Amino acid sequence: MKPKVGFYELTGCAGDMLNMLNCEDQLLSLFDVVEVKSFAMASSAHDEDTELDIAFVEGSVSTEENLHLLKRVREKSKILVAVGHCAIFGGVQISENNWEERLKKVYGDVNFIHTRPIPHEPLGMFVRVDAVIPGCPINKHQFLSAAGKLLLGTMPELYNFAVCAECKWKENECLLMKGKICLGPITRGGCGAICPTHNIPCIGCFGPVEEENVSSEYKLLLEKGYSPEELRNRMKIFGGKVREVK
Amino acid sequence: MKINIMPLARVEGEGGIYVEMEDERVKEVRMDIYEGPRLIETVVLGKRPDDVISIVTRICSICSTSHRLASVRGFERAGGVEVPEKIRLLRKLVHYGEYIESHSLHYYLLALPDFFGYPDAISMAEKYGDLVLGGLELKKFGNFIMETINGKAIHGENIRIGYMGRIPEKDALEHIKSRALALIPVIEDGIMAFPAMEIPDYMEEETNFICLVPEDDGFGFIGNTIITSKGERFDVEEYKKVTNERVVPHSFAKRSSYAGSPFTVGALARVNILGERLPGKAGDFFRRLWSERWKRNPLFNNLAQAIEILFCLEQIPPLVDRILSLPDPELKEPEVKEGEGTGAVEAPRGTLYHHYKVENGRTVECDIITPTAQNLDDMEKYLRRAAENLVKNPPEDFELRLELIPRAYDPCISCSVHMLRVKVKK
Repeated sequence: MKPKVGFYELTGCAGDMLNMLNCEDQLLSLFDVVEVKSFAMASSAHDEDTELDIAFVEGSVSTEENLHLLKRVREKSKILVAVGHCAIFGGVQISENNWEERLKKVYGDVNFIHTRPIPHEPLGMFVRVDAVIPGCPINKHQFLSAAGKLLLGTMPELYNFAVCAECKWKENECLLMKGKICLGPITRGGCGAICPTHNIPCIGCFGPVEEENVSSEYKLLLEKGYSPEELRNRMKIFGGKVREVK
Repeated sequence: MKINIMPLARVEGEGGIYVEMEDERVKEVRMDIYEGPRLIETVVLGKRPDDVISIVTRICSICSTSHRLASVRGFERAGGVEVPEKIRLLRKLVHYGEYIESHSLHYYLLALPDFFGYPDAISMAEKYGDLVLGGLELKKFGNFIMETINGKAIHGENIRIGYMGRIPEKDALEHIKSRALALIPVIEDGIMAFPAMEIPDYMEEETNFICLVPEDDGFGFIGNTIITSKGERFDVEEYKKVTNERVVPHSFAKRSSYAGSPFTVGALARVNILGERLPGKAGDFFRRLWSERWKRNPLFNNLAQAIEILFCLEQIPPLVDRILSLPDPELKEPEVKEGEGTGAVEAPRGTLYHHYKVENGRTVECDIITPTAQNLDDMEKYLRRAAENLVKNPPEDFELRLELIPRAYDPCISCSVHMLRVKVKK
């Protein structure tokens, strides 16, 4: 029997789902070996009652409806995979405080009739997450590799090294040494160091890497003449809640 | 009778349709938008412009390139930054890439299944394999252009304010040129596959259209002047005159109307207003296929998208030649310290505005108005008309006939929810 799979989108840009659809060469064969039970972005056919072998969930939890859907998907799924930065860390939307004040500034006092917005959180704040595919957006090759492993019954692995490793393999000139705010040393690899290869400092879109040495990077950049405020701002964008920059 | 369709499938983001009827009277029609708000425009305040362009790109995946282009243009206009000609042309090329990807995803994979009676493109592929594979080839090509020029297909970072990190290599550009030529017959077949004669008319009603006047003569997607189907023109800095936003309780996306009436932006608006300017085979198809119905029926947006794909493919070879004929400019990062300005582009789904104010090198005001938000009022108008016409003799596929309407607009709901206006009070 084909494994039953569901794709769910909470609050985000849908870029991770889109990168799955961007696997143009593999899309038809991938959908041939699984039974897709729900993928609203791509199909109007859906079956929300069947238990799932694997659920891929993108986006942050930002409304009560998001939370309700997430809990329902968790209950019926053997494996739940958090896909992309919003699902794993909360996304760029989590990087600023004063959520209520900002919500009011934007929408005024309107009482929304469908669902109440709630402060953004990653999936892991509410449910058990079995595996993650990092990135903003995810790398489609990592998605294919993770999907392949999950379908074969093993778990996907993470790249446990920083963007700098991939950047060195490409023999790029170090942007940090050139005095740019490059977050390569504190960001998880797996992207292929695309930005530094384009002479653009890493902004950290794959999220913090394990054992990141934020204070060392911070001090180094202070010495280069940046202000604490601009360093904090840059590090916060994809820092989620795990990176407390003091 | 109540019809509540949620989630609306084969669109980007979370939305639904609600229609309530009493006897033969339509009581209420709503395009419900329940995609959560991310308040992106409040996140950017106090940040450096080069941080802001990375954040706002994340508003949307399918139109991330358009968001990127609109944002850098907004900051460039705010700071009076000149853009070297070669970079201006490379932006044009990457924008064509986004159009090819976005339009072919919608046309082949999300919209055509409706017209051939399938729930999705995967099941449609069994009988219409060539069509689906052709669509995938086009989509892949669009992504290749964006990867080559912007680093990534989604949320690429190579396009910067006033410069770019790296100029793409000659071989890659030559490859883009030859692939574009090879794919022209694919989209010609795609256009012919559209069952134009069988397009239903149960929602037809006249409307207003709005788009940008291209900065280069002819047809195109980047400009600084807004034009309406009535012929009025506005500078993009006056964009609020045509967008007039308001908040409604059933939607996290704000709404727009022009002179008190809803309007449509996107491929159909561009082709209806500027179609006579379409050159080449795209122009031939336009003149052969266009009819007065295109002004009344949103379903023709699908066909307008297909014609725009052909336009992009035809434009690419001469554009690549021009890019290659120009010397590489010096790549240096200008600083935007003070100023205020609006950057607008035609995103695949319609006119996208990014407005910024910068003080002491930090962003203090941000206003982003997305195409789907502008289209929502018109979607409701057409849904109401459809419900009124269909309710007397309700068809079996009532829901599908309603769903066709917003889907034809290719709504980008993630985008629509994140437009808003914020001002820092001092």
